[in-house]
Amino acid sequence: MHERLSFHIQRDSFLHRLNPLTKLVLTLALVIIAFTFPWYWTPHLLVIAAIIPLSLLGKVFREFSLTALRLILPAATFLFLMQAFFQPIGTDIIFKFYFLDVTTESMLFAFRNAMRIFVMVSSFTLFLLSTHPSELMSDLTRRGLPGQFAYVIISTLQIIPQMQAKAQTIISAQRSRGLDTESTFFKRAGSLVPLVGPLVFGSLVEVEERAIAIEARGFTSKHVKTSLHEIPDSTFDQSLRWVLFILIIASVGLNLWLS
Amino acid sequence: MAFVNLQNVTYKYPLTKEPVLQNINLQIQEGEFVSIIGQNGAGKSTLCYALAGFVPHFFKGEISGEIEVDGRKSSESTLDEWVLNVGLAFQNPFNQISGAKYTVFEELAFGLENIGVPRDEMKVRVEEAMTLTGIRDLADRSPYSLSGGQQQRVALTSILVMRPRLLVLDEPTSQMDPIGTREVFGVVRRMAEEGMTVVMVEHKVEWIANFADRVIALKEGQILMEGKPNEVLTSGLLVENHFGVSRYTSVAREAQQRGLWKKEKLPVTLDESVEGFRS
Repeated sequence: MHERLSFHIQRDSFLHRLNPLTKLVLTLALVIIAFTFPWYWTPHLLVIAAIIPLSLLGKVFREFSLTALRLILPAATFLFLMQAFFQPIGTDIIFKFYFLDVTTESMLFAFRNAMRIFVMVSSFTLFLLSTHPSELMSDLTRRGLPGQFAYVIISTLQIIPQMQAKAQTIISAQRSRGLDTESTFFKRAGSLVPLVGPLVFGSLVEVEERAIAIEARGFTSKHVKTSLHEIPDSTFDQSLRWVLFILIIASVGLNLWLS
Repeated sequence: MAFVNLQNVTYKYPLTKEPVLQNINLQIQEGEFVSIIGQNGAGKSTLCYALAGFVPHFFKGEISGEIEVDGRKSSESTLDEWVLNVGLAFQNPFNQISGAKYTVFEELAFGLENIGVPRDEMKVRVEEAMTLTGIRDLADRSPYSLSGGQQQRVALTSILVMRPRLLVLDEPTSQMDPIGTREVFGVVRRMAEEGMTVVMVEHKVEWIANFADRVIALKEGQILMEGKPNEVLTSGLLVENHFGVSRYTSVAREAQQRGLWKKEKLPVTLDESVEGFRS
């Protein structure tokens, strides 16, 4: 069964049709503004007014909210509790818990930071849901990212699941010869040795052969590379990137000016 | 002047004591289909790597002698220039998948993207190559979801699409069933007729006898024998050196000793065998 390491969901939506670089800039803009814009309610507003609408616009709201609930909420909640209890600021004590004081200030501080983390993780989730990794890489390569760099990223995404499958095959093979993988911790740790050897050495051989195979297909050619797929980059994309760029500069600028 | 010309080629890998290739002299004409046979460790794969430029450009090690393809010397060329003329596909298909592409169509276009072929031409060439090797129905599949034999076809196609002048194949049918093997030999034969020079390492001697123009037997890094397929594959020298021989040849040799095989030439293929026993 073919598996791959990617969140990407193919849908026909406004968000999917945007140029990958535009989406990357949009993601970075959301994160940077959430962290730098000097107004307390910025991250909260971004979630309500930007991230949730974008997930609806990208027709991935269901997948997005599932990921958010499973991945982001526990982390953000943990962060909120830690900071609410341990941040020694403010005098307006709401309640005491042994030696820990929870003040209005520390609550607000924690709430904002948790929301900032929420913006960061959720905007990247949205980006990954709506952008095909190979599209992103070919677009970035076209703009001057070294081909080798893009290759490492993309092939890793595909090869990790293949390696997991191989590890599973080796485990089954060794178990069928009586390897103990189900008893005490130390026994199982010991039984890792005959599993790691074949996996590591096998992978090294694979790397060499793969290097030969892609080299034979002109990977290190000095020609200017072309791309099979045309990745659209409309004037709308270009102007949107400029607007976002200006917003980022303004937000960082305001932050520096007011501090 | 031969299209491929090897003069006194001796080569040693960085970590081996003995040379893997010793004094290889070999001339191949343009459009010729040459098959290489030999046991494990005879230097077949190393010879393939030498023709494809990976020995010594990729593996380093010590090389002497001269390798020439189409009048150009390997020693004066770089690997990225060399691969534009010489294509290489080898045994393990899984490791030949680039890993950078999500469908077979994209996988086949990978090499063309690398050498800067324009998009429209790229699509035409990929379509043509897929038709040639009969894998059009795999175009939208993930290369990782294919069977070994299918992956081998994709690996072969991914080299054919680059249109090399010399095609080097190291056991390209090892994971294929007889139908797949026949088709690959058919495609390779056709490419040779269209002027591509082919060097193919293969164990399946009956197929070699049917399709190749010349056979080279390698032993311990040296050329033991070369000549027309039937001549080499039925030679007593191969039996003495423990090469794999066609079962039809073995049967006919037995029969010859008992006076049951009347012809002078021994058979390699089923057809030759049937014809010989009938006469």
